[in-house]
This record gives sequence, structure tokens and C-alpha cells, in this order.
Amino acid sequence: MLQVESLMKTFSVEGEDVHAVNELSFHVTGGEVYGLLGPNGAGKTTTLRIILGLLEPDSGHTKVDGYRTAEHPIEVKSRLGFVSASDGVYPWLSVREMLLYFADLYRVDPDLASDRAEELSRVMDIEKLLDRRAGTLSTGQRQRVTLVRGLIHDPPVMLLDEPTRGLDVVGVQTIFQYIDHLRQMGKAVVVCTHRLDEAERLCDRFGLLLEGKLHHEGTMSQLQTATSREHLVDMFVDMMTGGAV
Amino acid sequence: MSLNETPNPVEPNSVEPDTRQPSDFQKRPHLKGRLLRLCQKELRETIRDRRTVFTLLLMPLLLYPLLSMALNRFLLTSDINQNGGYLVGLASEEEGELLGSYLNDPRSHPPDSILEANNGELAEFKLGLTPDADAVEALRKNEIDVAVSVEQGEQEGPPTFTITAFKGDAASETARRILVERLQWLESSVAQQVAKEATSDYQSVAKVRVAEIGAADQLPLLATIVPLVLVLMTITGAVYPAIDLTAGERERGTMEALMASPASRFDLLFAKYVAVVIVALLTAMINLFAMFTTLWASGLLKLLTGNDVFPWLSVLQILGLLILFSGFFSALLLSLTSFAKSFKEAQAYLIPVMLLALAPAMLSLLPGVKLSGPLAIAPLISIVILARDILAGHFEAAGALAAILSTIAYAAAALAVASRLFGNDAVMRTSDQSIASFFHRPKKPSLVPSVESSALMLALLVPFYFLVSNGLIRLVEIPRDQLSLSMLFAFNLLALVLTFGLVPFFVATIGRNRYSSTFRLTCSAASGLSTMAFVGCLVGSVLIGLGAWALAHESFVIGESLGIGGLSEERIRQTLEAIEAQKEVPFWLVLLTFAVAPAIIEELCFRGFLFSSLSAVLTPARVVLLTAVLFGMFHVLTGNALLIERFLPTTLLGLILGWIAYRSGSVFPGMVMHFVHNALLKSVARYHESFHLFGSELNDQAHLPAIWLVGTTAITCAGAILIGFSTRRRFRSNQ
Repeated sequence: MLQVESLMKTFSVEGEDVHAVNELSFHVTGGEVYGLLGPNGAGKTTTLRIILGLLEPDSGHTKVDGYRTAEHPIEVKSRLGFVSASDGVYPWLSVREMLLYFADLYRVDPDLASDRAEELSRVMDIEKLLDRRAGTLSTGQRQRVTLVRGLIHDPPVMLLDEPTRGLDVVGVQTIFQYIDHLRQMGKAVVVCTHRLDEAERLCDRFGLLLEGKLHHEGTMSQLQTATSREHLVDMFVDMMTGGAV
Repeated sequence: MSLNETPNPVEPNSVEPDTRQPSDFQKRPHLKGRLLRLCQKELRETIRDRRTVFTLLLMPLLLYPLLSMALNRFLLTSDINQNGGYLVGLASEEEGELLGSYLNDPRSHPPDSILEANNGELAEFKLGLTPDADAVEALRKNEIDVAVSVEQGEQEGPPTFTITAFKGDAASETARRILVERLQWLESSVAQQVAKEATSDYQSVAKVRVAEIGAADQLPLLATIVPLVLVLMTITGAVYPAIDLTAGERERGTMEALMASPASRFDLLFAKYVAVVIVALLTAMINLFAMFTTLWASGLLKLLTGNDVFPWLSVLQILGLLILFSGFFSALLLSLTSFAKSFKEAQAYLIPVMLLALAPAMLSLLPGVKLSGPLAIAPLISIVILARDILAGHFEAAGALAAILSTIAYAAAALAVASRLFGNDAVMRTSDQSIASFFHRPKKPSLVPSVESSALMLALLVPFYFLVSNGLIRLVEIPRDQLSLSMLFAFNLLALVLTFGLVPFFVATIGRNRYSSTFRLTCSAASGLSTMAFVGCLVGSVLIGLGAWALAHESFVIGESLGIGGLSEERIRQTLEAIEAQKEVPFWLVLLTFAVAPAIIEELCFRGFLFSSLSAVLTPARVVLLTAVLFGMFHVLTGNALLIERFLPTTLLGLILGWIAYRSGSVFPGMVMHFVHNALLKSVARYHESFHLFGSELNDQAHLPAIWLVGTTAITCAGAILIGFSTRRRFRSNQ
């Protein structure tokens, strides 16, 4: 469903080259939740942006449903749902208006979009918010609205960037339910997060990223075998202190 | 090392990936009205915002009544035919009776010729006693317009009237003037009467009749101010939504989601554009009607249109112009705000643009400015002038058409730019670059300056040039007209070196740019030419330099006939005087100032620094064009005046120099051509009498004789062919 092949991206920061993404490759299939994990600045968000076509890679490529981002950006974008913790809302629109606006951007039939908005709102428990002005929502409510927005066009691949940032326990629980829902719907899901404890409970497979490079990849048991460590946190400590790589 | 043991690395539904055709995404059904819905969303978002409502509704509703009150007050205090008459304060009843009897005497009234010129109305005076018998004090307290005291003369002598006015108060000064005149009329009438009685052969000196022809040349005050105010109000209406719908997307954090969607940027931007235009138009319409209703209600409309009828037709015509203007300005605003990453940044871009827009708009307030020539296609100015002419009741169709078409073209261009900029760098982090990063010395040296460096260099050049060329003379504390011409030339030379020489050098040094590649100081081998080919370039440049002056001259004459910066008689006379005066200066100094130094310094700056920097990002044709236009523009600035007529010939010269620089890959051939060209012009100016021998007199206004044109064109072409031929290998090997 989603393929990332030998991705390279270098930024120039104050005259010095920084490898944000370095020879990164991974695949995600339908019904699978893939955790792209790493500390801040590991290159997670950059990778998502390259997949979305918001950034151009220096080399390598990404494919969604067989379409290369560089060659068929519209096909790729219409198959991706993207939710980021830094996503904002239009303060003067109602939640419903905003959802329908995004449905229009993705060229979803308005009637169908209306039904979908209602249905997804039930799942995410934001039915009562549909006619509220988006500017009046709390952080948790806003996050749920953004999640619904990302699904309004029923994309086969979902990219979630730090979806639990700034949320309380209940909020995080809602996100977990949502991701589980996505898995059941057969979507390929990429979750980028630096919350390793959450990732452990949530993801089927993991890619451990440090300084743009994928150091380990696999299911939890595969990682445990390869690193002789029980938890992701310990594996990262080893990676960052130059241990078993 | 990674564990690439993915359970199912191959995609289940992966068809041969790169041969896959796009699906029918763009042909999905039920998309009717999608663009309309996108526009609706933008409009909703803006209209619901309270800040929009404030600028849209409250401002005009409050502004115009208040403005008209202020204007009324101003007109009341300055009106000469004051309603109800002037208040004259006197200390005693006797004084009042005397003044009253004088004023009521028909002999004190002005003659008919003067009354007629004043609409036939006689000024009225109301006489009153002031408290405490102190008229001057009452005047000081602004209770009366003018104070009068009368002293009885000794022994049947005439009484003395002292008339006191308040300095600077128009009404008071007018009242005093009229009183003085009325007493003078009385005096002269009595004198005339006495003279007639005393001698039978008295004859009056002259009889006066007054008449008028022609129409008032000056436009009514309001006809010039109203369009300007409307334009400003339209801008005010458009600014907030333009920022909010573009830079606001980034600030709210919705930009990334927007760019991640498959919607085309043009669709997104077009919807925003429609919303901004509608809000701007609504603001304009509300302003227009609020303004005219206020004018009509307060009776000021007469000053604007000459009669009291509500001018529906003019209002509709101006509304049409405002539609055009909103269309243009909204696109311009969007192109700027699309570039900005935050509200703050957008405002920083807009304020200078709005102030810059104000300057040309003020120009249209000057009397005698007409909608013709370059002004008819000048953005903003043309619309303001056209609106003014419509209000004044007469406009020329050709000028109006040019104004309308050019404005539509500008709007389309700005919209195209905006849709290219919108959403660019949706996720880039460049916004945290500080101003210090401009001056930050990079750690690694680089071959050529970045485009930012070029922008910095140009931005420093203008103020630096102004300061140096004016400041140097002030420093030596000699008035400009007492400076000897040689001194002036020396200053010119110094200013050139300090600006066009020093500024690029400074910027290149800060940027750690290698001088040889930055200033393109390459000779034969380095530029990929054999020594012979390089010599060919140099000889070709000499030939072009010998011939190109004629082309520059012709473009100057053509430019003049098109009305672009022609020379006035006065300027030609000054130029001829300057040429005569220059003969006192040693010729080597003339050559050094006007040929050697410009050839070296200007070439290093324009065909060196700018050329190498821009070549990294633009195609050669665009580099040549852009450097030529900049070269032309800098020659228009001459320290303290704008010499617009220099633009066309210098830009043309810049194009030729740019082409030589491009072909040869070096700055040196251009220097040679620049020197030959300038030196030739100066020699001709100095020794132009000798040219009479050839049967022709050099004249700034006339085309050159055909034989000269053919000759110089042939020389120029020969030079160009030689350069083209010498450098052919360089381009063949590049391909």
C-alpha cells in the first residue's frame, strides 16, 4: 500500500548540511499500523512530508497504491489521509462546514460527504460539536475533529504525525480507539511519535529512526530478538549512546 | 543495519507501478458548483470575522459624517460670503452709529464691476457692543470677527477708524479687508463728488467693465479627493481578508492540510481571490454610498458636481472603476501575502506597498495631470485619474480604455504570481531566519553570491548612492554653485567608486564569495576561450562601442516621440551649457570620470556581481534582461533628480553589454565596449563643431542622417558577428 525507497533529504542549517532523512526504506500494507519512532529531529515529520509531496526528496522515491508521489502527486494525495498535532482549524467555520470543505478539496460528492461526516462523528463522538464554531473547541475536541477531517475522503493510507501530542489520558485513549478502528477498516497506518510506551501498545511493526537513519525495523518480537532488549525505550537508549547498532 | 524481514513487503494491489495511468480522480462526478462552494467557504470565513465587519461597515458609516462635519466647519470658518454676516464689535453706541451710517451710505458700496465679480452680493456686517467696552478683548476671545474703534478728529477733522483683525483667522482678515475697502469707496465717492462740484471739467480717469471667458482650469477640490479616499477605503477593505486568507492559513496551521489535499493551488487561490474582491467591493460600495449620501445630506454635493442632484450616473461609473480597482488590488495583495508566513510578516510587506501606492495616488491630485502617455497605463494612478475625470464630467475614451485594459492585465499577472507563490514552502522553516542572517558570514566560501546577496547589494546601493553623491559635497561645505567643474567631476568619480565599486565588494566579502568568479574576472582560458577568440571578443567590443551610440541616440529620440521622458527646451539648453562648460575641464578628467571609471566600476557591479549571482537561478536571456533593466534604472537615479529619459537608451546599452558578457563569459570585453562608447560620446560632445564639416549638426531631438545610421549599424553588426564567431566553440562544447 505504501512504499518508501532509499529516501534522502538534506537541509542546510546555517550553512551546514544536515541529513534529515538518510537512505530510508520501509513498506506498510493494508490493515497494518506502522510506528515510525524516534526522538525529536529524527526525520519522522520530514518523511511524512515527502510522502505527501510537500517536500521533494534529494533522491529515492515514495509510492502510494502503486503511484509515485513525484509523478502522480494528485493520485497520491487523494489516497492519503494526513493528521498532524500542529493542524489548525478555521475558527469562524462550524465543524460541519470545515469537514465538508475538506471533502470538496478531495472531490467527494457533497451528499456522500455529508453522510460520512455524520457517521465518522458518531465513531469519534463529536456529533454534538458538528454545528459548533471550530474556534470554540477545546484541544481534545479539536484533535478529534482533525482526525475525522483526515478520514472524510476514506483514504486507504493514513499518516498520523504525533497524534497524541497535548492530549490528556482520555484524549489519548480516543486516539487509540481511532487507530484500532482504522486497522479494522483495513487501512495502512503510519504513526509518527516519540512516545515509545504508547507506540508499543499501538503498533504492529516498528521502524526505529535516529538522525534520519532507520536503525531497526520489525515486529516487537523481532526487535526484541535483534536487540536483546525488552522495551523500545531501552533499545533507543542503546542506539543513542552508540550501543548495539 | 536494519531488520528487513517485513511479513509482506509486496503490495497486494500493486500493478506495474510506473506504467500505471492516473485514475479518473479529476473526473469524479457531482462536482458541479465545487469552485462556488470553495468561494463560499472563504467568504463565510471572512464575513463572519468581526474585524472584517468593523472595516466593512462601521468605519464608513462613522467616518463620512464625521469627515463632513469637519469639512463643514472648515468651510464655515473660511467662507468669505459668510452666512449671517460678519460680527463687528464696538466699544460704544456712538461709534456704532457712526460706522453704521458710513456702511449704510450707498456711496460706500463697491462699484458694480466689483460686485459682479463677487456674485453681486454685498457683504453684511452686524454691529454690536462688546462687554466692558473692550472690543479687542472680545476679538481675542473669538466672540466677534473684527474690532472697530473710532476716534473723533479734532476740530471738524475726519474720525479715525482703527480696525483690528485676528491674525491668521481667514474670516476676521476678510472682514477687515472689506471694511477698509468700504471706507475707501466712501472716501473716493465723496472726493469725486467734491471734485465734480468744484470744477466743471472734472473727468473720471477710467471706467471699468468686467467679463469672463473659458472654463475653470482647476478641478473642484472634492473631485480630486473623493477618488483618492475611495481607493484608500477599498484597499482598507481588501487588506485584512487578503492577509487572513493566505498568511492566516499558515498561522492557523491549516496550510499544511490544505497543501496535502489534491486540490489545485489555482482553485484554492482563485476562491480566496473571489472572496477578497467581494469584500473589497462591498467595502467600496458602502463607502461610496455613505460618502455620497453624506455629501448630499450636508449640501456639500454642490462643491463636487456643481448642482444638488444626486449623481447616480457618476456613482455607477465610479462603482465600475472600483470593481476594476478591487480586482487589481486584491490580486496584488494576494501575491504579497501568499509569500508571507505570518500575519506579522504580511503586514510588514503590505505597509510599504500601501505607502508606495499612496505616492502615485497623490500625484493625481496635482492639477494638470492628464490621463495620457505613460500615466494612462500606470497602475493605480490611471484609475484614480480616471475617477477624477469622471467626477469632473469629462474624460477621454482612449485614455480610459488604456487605463481599464492595463489594469485588467496587471490583475491577471498578479493573480498568476500569487497562485505560484501560494503554498510554496508550506512546511519550510525559513521564516525563522533573522535579519542578522543577511549579514551572517557563511563558514564556507562560495563561488558566486546568492540571490539574497544580490538583493542586499541592490538595497544598499540606492540609499548609499544618494547619501554619497549628496553628502560628499555637503562635507566640504562649499555651495554646489561655487564648486569648480573639475571638483564636481572628482566628486562624481569618488561617488561612483564608493557606491557601485565598494558596495558589491563589501557584500561579496561578507558572503565569502570568490572575487574572480563573482566579478567574472576571467580572461581567455578560464572562460573557455582560446586567446585568439578572447582577442576577437575584445576587438568586437571595440567595434560595437564605436557603433552603439547611434542606436542609443535613436532609442532616445524614439522614446521622446513616444512621450517617455522627453526633454524640455529648458533641459536642452542646460545640457548645451553643460557641454560648453565642460570644455574648461581637462579632457583626461572628463574621460576618467565619464568613461574609464564607469566602464570598470559599473561593469564589475552589473555584468560582474549581479550577472554571476543571477546566472545561478535564471536563464541567460533573463539574466541579460534583468541586469539591463536594473542598469537602466540606476541611471535614472542621479543623486538628486530622476532622469527618466535616460532609461531607454541605458537599458538598451545594458542589453548589448549583457549579451557580450554572456557570450564571452567575462567582464572584460564589456568594459572595453563601455569605455569606447562613453569616450566616444564625450569626444563628440567636446569636439562637435568639427562635425559641421560632415554636413550635419548633432542635435538631441533629431534622428541621425540615414548614412550615419547605416554606417554605425554596420560597424555594430560587424562587432557582434565577430564576438558571436569567436565564442561559437564555447557554446558548441557546452551543448
